Amino acid sequence: MTREEYLATLKSALHSLPESDIADIARDFEEHFSIGLSQGKTEHEISAELGDPATVAGTYFDEGLEDIGHTMKESAAHYASAASSAAANRSAAETSGTTGTTGSTAAVKPVSPQKDLTGARLFVILLNVLITWWVAITVISTLFSFWCVSISLLVGGIGSFTALAAAPGDWISVFVLFGLAGILLAVATGILNFFLSKWTVIGSKAYISWNKKLYNEGF
Amino acid sequence: MNVQFKKGVLDLCVLSMLKESDQYGYELANTLSEIIQISDGTVYPILRKLATDGMVTTYLQESQSGPPRKYYKLTGLGKKTLISLQQEWLTFSRSVNQIVGGDAQ
Repeated sequence: MTREEYLATLKSALHSLPESDIADIARDFEEHFSIGLSQGKTEHEISAELGDPATVAGTYFDEGLEDIGHTMKESAAHYASAASSAAANRSAAETSGTTGTTGSTAAVKPVSPQKDLTGARLFVILLNVLITWWVAITVISTLFSFWCVSISLLVGGIGSFTALAAAPGDWISVFVLFGLAGILLAVATGILNFFLSKWTVIGSKAYISWNKKLYNEGF
Repeated sequence: MNVQFKKGVLDLCVLSMLKESDQYGYELANTLSEIIQISDGTVYPILRKLATDGMVTTYLQESQSGPPRKYYKLTGLGKKTLISLQQEWLTFSRSVNQIVGGDAQ
């Protein structure tokens, strides 16, 4: 069973619970999958180890869920607070160091010192402002002009053929030649442009995910 | 091993494992499933129930790889409950062993 299938079955077996509780339970299992995957297990292996999702879902009802909604809302707050920056996390760690248990389960308290992300974040921001921005403009305008060349070749080629009727006798062969050459070149450059555009999109996606990783996890 | 046997002691096992250090769900599930052959998924409903009962609290911590992990930590109530459950378990298992036989005292 894949991760998607597992989560879908689990969620549907939990459907009688409030939406937020289902989402919260699903997050626990998503975390389990992510960690398992990062340790080199496959989705199928992890699903097998977790056990039948319907049975697992049943356990939530066996264990008595009377006022579990309360706890779950709090843990939803955990996730919301975790989504905020590591800087906030660090200051939370500093304050909780003096207050100890704040009495709320929503307290974010890292056990080990947080990694300093300031350098990595500054690097990402400066890189994008100083370099990436200009590279992106250049690449996009180059691609745009390439596509313009292809389109004008195509228009020119077709234009030559449509003008054949009006062409003087001795010019017909020249017009045919222009037409064929125009269309062929348009197709050839079009193919080239297609791949260039595709690679640009792939490259951009990789760049963005690299940036995200760097921003969130540091060097 | 008989599922009914395990069910009664899973709470005790999880609480005991949290005695030494805070752990995240995946760790607990892995250790527990290795030692007493339960499926990993069983751990999460138990953890949720323990949280509801005020035995554990949870907090999120960033991880070097992947998403933040949800750690579980024993509360004061959890520690007290663990001690009394431990006592109960030792007495109970000793008594059962007396009836069943086997090599335990």
